[in-house]
Amino acid sequence: MKWTRKDILHLEGLEQKEIEFILNTAKPMKEVLLRPIKKLPTLRGKAVFNLFFEASTRTRTSFETAAKILGADTASLAVAQSSVSKGETLLDTARTLEAMQPDVVVIRHASSGAAHFLAKELKAGVINAGDGQHEHPSQALLDLFTMKEHLGSVAGRKILLVGDILHSRVARSNVWALKNMGAEVVLVGPPTLLTPEIKAWGVKTSYNLDQELPGADVIMALRLQLERQQAGLLPSLREYSQLYGITAERLKRTEKPSLVMHPGPINRGVELESQVANSAQAVIEEQVTNGVAVRMALMYLLMGGTGHVVD
Amino acid sequence: MWWIKNAQVIDPAQNISGIRDMLIYNGKILGLKESYTTEEAEQLLNSAAQGSAEGDKTSKPNWQEIDAKGMLLFPGLIDVHTHLREPGREDKEDIRSGSEAAVRGGFTTILAMPNTTPVLDQRALIEFVVNQGKKAGLARIHPIAAMTKGQQGKELVEMVELTSAGAAAFSDDGKGVQSAEMMRLSLEYAKLTERPVVSHCEDESLAHKGAMHRGLVSTRMGLPGIPSSSESVMVARDILLAEEGGGKLHLAHISAKESVDLIRAAKSRGVDVTAEVNPHHLIFTDEAIAAHPYDTSYKVNPPLRSEADRAELLEGLLDGTIDMLATDHAPHTWEEKTRPFDEAPFGISGLETALAAIWQYLIIPGKLTPEAMVKAWSLKPAQRFNLPGGSLEPGSAADVVLFDPNHVEKIEADRLVTKGKNTPFLGQELQGFPMMVWVDGRLVFQRG
Repeated sequence: MKWTRKDILHLEGLEQKEIEFILNTAKPMKEVLLRPIKKLPTLRGKAVFNLFFEASTRTRTSFETAAKILGADTASLAVAQSSVSKGETLLDTARTLEAMQPDVVVIRHASSGAAHFLAKELKAGVINAGDGQHEHPSQALLDLFTMKEHLGSVAGRKILLVGDILHSRVARSNVWALKNMGAEVVLVGPPTLLTPEIKAWGVKTSYNLDQELPGADVIMALRLQLERQQAGLLPSLREYSQLYGITAERLKRTEKPSLVMHPGPINRGVELESQVANSAQAVIEEQVTNGVAVRMALMYLLMGGTGHVVD
Repeated sequence: MWWIKNAQVIDPAQNISGIRDMLIYNGKILGLKESYTTEEAEQLLNSAAQGSAEGDKTSKPNWQEIDAKGMLLFPGLIDVHTHLREPGREDKEDIRSGSEAAVRGGFTTILAMPNTTPVLDQRALIEFVVNQGKKAGLARIHPIAAMTKGQQGKELVEMVELTSAGAAAFSDDGKGVQSAEMMRLSLEYAKLTERPVVSHCEDESLAHKGAMHRGLVSTRMGLPGIPSSSESVMVARDILLAEEGGGKLHLAHISAKESVDLIRAAKSRGVDVTAEVNPHHLIFTDEAIAAHPYDTSYKVNPPLRSEADRAELLEGLLDGTIDMLATDHAPHTWEEKTRPFDEAPFGISGLETALAAIWQYLIIPGKLTPEAMVKAWSLKPAQRFNLPGGSLEPGSAADVVLFDPNHVEKIEADRLVTKGKNTPFLGQELQGFPMMVWVDGRLVFQRG
């Protein structure tokens, strides 16, 4: 298979074989990452720009590391502190960027659709590193990679996504990818964060975590933005964690060695009990490692890579 | 003096829909019948010219004749909802450019909303808009005055004073009146003026910071949603207030099916309420934002809603629940609309494309008759807002549109005369355009 897309903006609509192709490309990338000398000449002379309009240390570092291992030159534009505060529009930022001849631009932005907007303006490949409440494709791909490492295949596996579904770009990307790969997805959260329209995504929705736990292969807790409580969507964090917090007690109810995942950063004691986050079933740091590998694969493919990475 | 021959005349006010000749003289419609002989036309002219300065019975009348075979002729359209942005935001539009756009789109009278900078809440400002309109000398421009001072929702404007200055109605359009008591007081006090109070129905606590209709599409696209209830709860409230205390209530830009149901029920109870619908809500749904991902030319408030809403709005227009069409012409600058979707301003520039869009999307497919269109876009607005026009009855002001149902034109930014190029029809061909437009018997626009 040959990669043909210019950009990675969303997983909705991506074909199963495209997802497989990315994940298969990520495997040798992970091997490279685990070597004592982790450097490839593959993307030498290529320029990767990280354009982060939202503060995000972990995702930005992950992309930057991925680009550097592949030998690309990277520049990070912490736009939140520079041009935007001077009133520059995203369009002008994009044009300025274009003039510097980047090969891949990674964008994180608070507005849904910002990555689409940039992709239309730029000749460079654009990777969406999270746009508003829309999608976060590389996160879902690394989640899928991690699940497959442990479970072999996700087809037929029961995967719970727990928490703030309404506002979560991670949930959206995961739903489209997991559905596509044949997993049984169940979205769990309180009614104010799991609104009726979400039923139309075509996966099961439930307000009751305890009912859904039996048989779950993966429990993915989503990060809860603490301002949701201030906005009145939740009565208290206490009640939220009582209903939806993943505790050791709850974890037993799956009656399986279920994987516990979290996109990070964790609010300990809210989404996950510390005992769970520290347990062997939690694969949260593996997710981070796999994130670098998956992002290496994405950049490699967008810059015309064919699949022979390591040799 | 004009002699328009063999036109398909549509005039719901007189229940006319057929081939007619029309004579225009001295700013007025002189005559309208199947056909005139030269002698008949001359005779009419002579009797009209008696006592008129323009009359000169000795010379031969100098008719400008038009063979309008295959063309439609109807009373100039009246748009009760436009934003002309002057004073304050002349970079988006001014009264001159808005007037040009109006006549180019077939509108001979337009009402200008008061959410300018400063807000139209004082005599001098109302008079300014009236005078700028006269200076432009194209469409008739009637300002709508603010309902409350500064549109702050706290104190009523001097409604009687502003009416005498030329205000056609009162509205805090641009945002909803959040205080029910303020709305009640406005409806009651406005009785002194016999002008309607125009309500922009939007409960801000429900609309919150939404960017598009709350529904399946908004959740997929990750855009914050504006629920239908943000409109319908206020429609219900305003209807109940008008029912309880009286007053002339006009509901702007109805977009949700629940609102249509509420208005239908209110009318059957005899509440003095009228309502308008915008062409874009009859043509598009929220799916358009998915089909053209994050294209801000589809970002409008109230938002494009679901197919069920669209269908019910059309049903409401057909059964008279919704009285009139209105553009909600909302011009914005290019740089404002080339922002990410949730940062871009709401609004569609409508005056130049609205009639052609309705023609192409509703009339050609047979969903709406030309008669119903003219009634909803000319006669009903004239009646409700007590404006000249709306009829081709001899003796009335000659505000007339000659329309070619077959004329096709590609909508291109540099051909639009409005400063607001923010239309979803950009780059598309539309069919059905005004070819000649008269205001007060003066030819103010001719399609070249």
